[in-house]
Amino acid sequence: MHWLSKKKYKIGLMIPTLLVYSIFIMLPIVIAVRYSFTKYSGIGQAKFTGFKNYVRLFQDKIFWISLKNTMIMFVMAFVLLLTLSFLIALLLNKRLKAVDFSKALIFSPAIIAPIIVGIIWVYILDPNIGIINNLLDAVGADALKAKWIGGEKWSPYSIAIIYFWQQLGYLVTIFIAGLKMIPGDVLEAVKIDGASAVQEVRYVIIPMMRTTISTVAVLIITGVFKIFEIVQQTTGGGPNHLSETLVTYSYSMTFSSSDYGYGMSLATVTFLLSLMITAVYTAVTKEREG
Amino acid sequence: MRNRNFKRLLSAVMAGVMTLGILTGCSGGSEEAKTDESGATVIKFGIHVANPAEQEVVTYNIVEAFNKANEGKYKVEFEAADTETHSKNMKLKAEDGSLPQIFWIEGSEASEYSEAGVLLDLSEFLNENGNVKEALGGMEEAFVDDNGQFGLPYQCNVQGIFYNKELFDNAKVDYPTDETTYDEFIEMIGKLKESGVIPLAIGSKNSAYAMWEFNEFLARYGWEGNIDNILSGKDKFNNKELTACFEKLEGLKDAGSFPENMATIEYFDAKQLFNEGKAAMFGTGQWDCAEFDKNIGDKIGFWWGPKFTDTQSSQEIVMKVPSAPIGVSAKVADDEKLKEGVYEFLKFYYGEEAAKLSYEGSIFPATSYDGAAASDSQYAMNAMIEALANGWASPKAAPDLTVSSAVQEALYDGIFGVLQGTYKPAEALDKIDAALANSQ
Repeated sequence: MHWLSKKKYKIGLMIPTLLVYSIFIMLPIVIAVRYSFTKYSGIGQAKFTGFKNYVRLFQDKIFWISLKNTMIMFVMAFVLLLTLSFLIALLLNKRLKAVDFSKALIFSPAIIAPIIVGIIWVYILDPNIGIINNLLDAVGADALKAKWIGGEKWSPYSIAIIYFWQQLGYLVTIFIAGLKMIPGDVLEAVKIDGASAVQEVRYVIIPMMRTTISTVAVLIITGVFKIFEIVQQTTGGGPNHLSETLVTYSYSMTFSSSDYGYGMSLATVTFLLSLMITAVYTAVTKEREG
Repeated sequence: MRNRNFKRLLSAVMAGVMTLGILTGCSGGSEEAKTDESGATVIKFGIHVANPAEQEVVTYNIVEAFNKANEGKYKVEFEAADTETHSKNMKLKAEDGSLPQIFWIEGSEASEYSEAGVLLDLSEFLNENGNVKEALGGMEEAFVDDNGQFGLPYQCNVQGIFYNKELFDNAKVDYPTDETTYDEFIEMIGKLKESGVIPLAIGSKNSAYAMWEFNEFLARYGWEGNIDNILSGKDKFNNKELTACFEKLEGLKDAGSFPENMATIEYFDAKQLFNEGKAAMFGTGQWDCAEFDKNIGDKIGFWWGPKFTDTQSSQEIVMKVPSAPIGVSAKVADDEKLKEGVYEFLKFYYGEEAAKLSYEGSIFPATSYDGAAASDSQYAMNAMIEALANGWASPKAAPDLTVSSAVQEALYDGIFGVLQGTYKPAEALDKIDAALANSQ
């Protein structure tokens, strides 16, 4: 297979992938950015309007609400998912009783379609028919009842919790795979040297799992910016757009209001924001490694 | 050397084939099959429900009857998808020139299709078929612009408030009449609430369009007379009349008319509350009649909504309006045989037999023919017919269908914002004005 390792052949073999990537990933992005500078209803000719959509976007209260909601979800999901999925992976990596059952249990939400996840949580969080408020009622804690979804305050937090529940098992699995990659003799040596469990994690496991942690972090960042079905199913972005995320608001503007140009400007900003946060995270972690 | 060249060639061919395979595999392919195995000309009908046999029974029955009557000659086939997907698909198809020959159009988007020149002017069809034009009785006028007759009403929509007489009796509340005022309506809501039922079922999640009962409110605050001025910039949505109208919506909210979880339930959930006897009233149109016959039977009543005393606008208005239109692809004109088939179908669709099938399915057709009527066991439809007997006028189109998609969406958002207490009336109307400004 000597001939395949030459640079020009490598390039040749990459061409199909590059073509597919360019046509189905890059080109739609370019088209979306192009439409973001136009007024377009989805039919007929798009009319070039310069930066009008972007100016409107920064004056649009709902855009800021969507951004705030997305950021709430991002911070909650990032902190909770990164720390808890890592800690649970550490636990499940031990030889404990019922470890396999626990792994299956924790992973199970990840195999449920997001739309179904939304439906399940409606029955938990709905202010009228939801389990939480009914339980609070039953134990006489009426004062704690709230509009967990569909109100003006709690929806983004509730959606972050749902996303956390859905993603936890998947990320735990990635962490477990990362833990398995750490050579057993290294961990054994640490134990022989008398390190405590905390020291083992702090000075050996975390440094050796940097790549896995980075991968999980990037997955969380990009994932949060794609939360769609959960919002659609639990609140539909309502009441009155108060629980929209950037991506659901972009969808609503594009397809419900037929304002494709403005919808694409929202999509472009979402894309840039996600890219920026990922870039910052990557730069920060690389600097630390350096 | 030869071996190496062969490998180079092989890899290049493989790469090319893979790419081509992926590209062709993802393309839509042709859907323009014009004849079926029996030689019948196939006419595609794009419809806004995923399963027409269950969700649009009347249209399905009309198509079946047409296909049976025209066996071997014409065959209408559905291109079915839920409303949202259908709307997206039609736009994409309009762009790449592959629209089905006939298709249902979201009311607020119809003028956009017309402006884009993708619809056939149906004036010729109406001129050739005077009986259809006569039977439509002016319903078609809502779909005329500078490009001609760009669509025809899919059905006739009769919209208002259905009520459960049994729940009214239990609450010792008189049934509403044409003369019931807004203040009496508020009183009625209070008593119904006291009796332990939800006065008016409504859901806002993914259901902003489900505001039919409030079209009557808008109409009775002079919508039809003002909308042209508003759209041309001479007036604003935030005017005296509409402010008063939105204040009445706020009054309904303050009276506790709606389910507490209206933000997390959909139109279908709200309808379920009404069907199950948990809600006393539900705003909708004739498309739900068959369901109410089954669930509520002869306890069903129908009401147009309250009269308002703080406006000069006419209160003797009912909401019997053309529904969203069906359009015909402009490309049909390129193929004489196809055009003939489409015209034949339209003739059938707006004919007497189809009108009878409509009534059988508790749907008001866009046409009027003598002798087509509901049977005694069609309680909900008969309640509507009884309400229509007052002979009051209807607007040319439902208020929410007289504006563009963006403004329509803002109108829905504004109405539900006030109903849920998210917006004050003036704030909601300002948002509609902003949407109008952005759309121009």
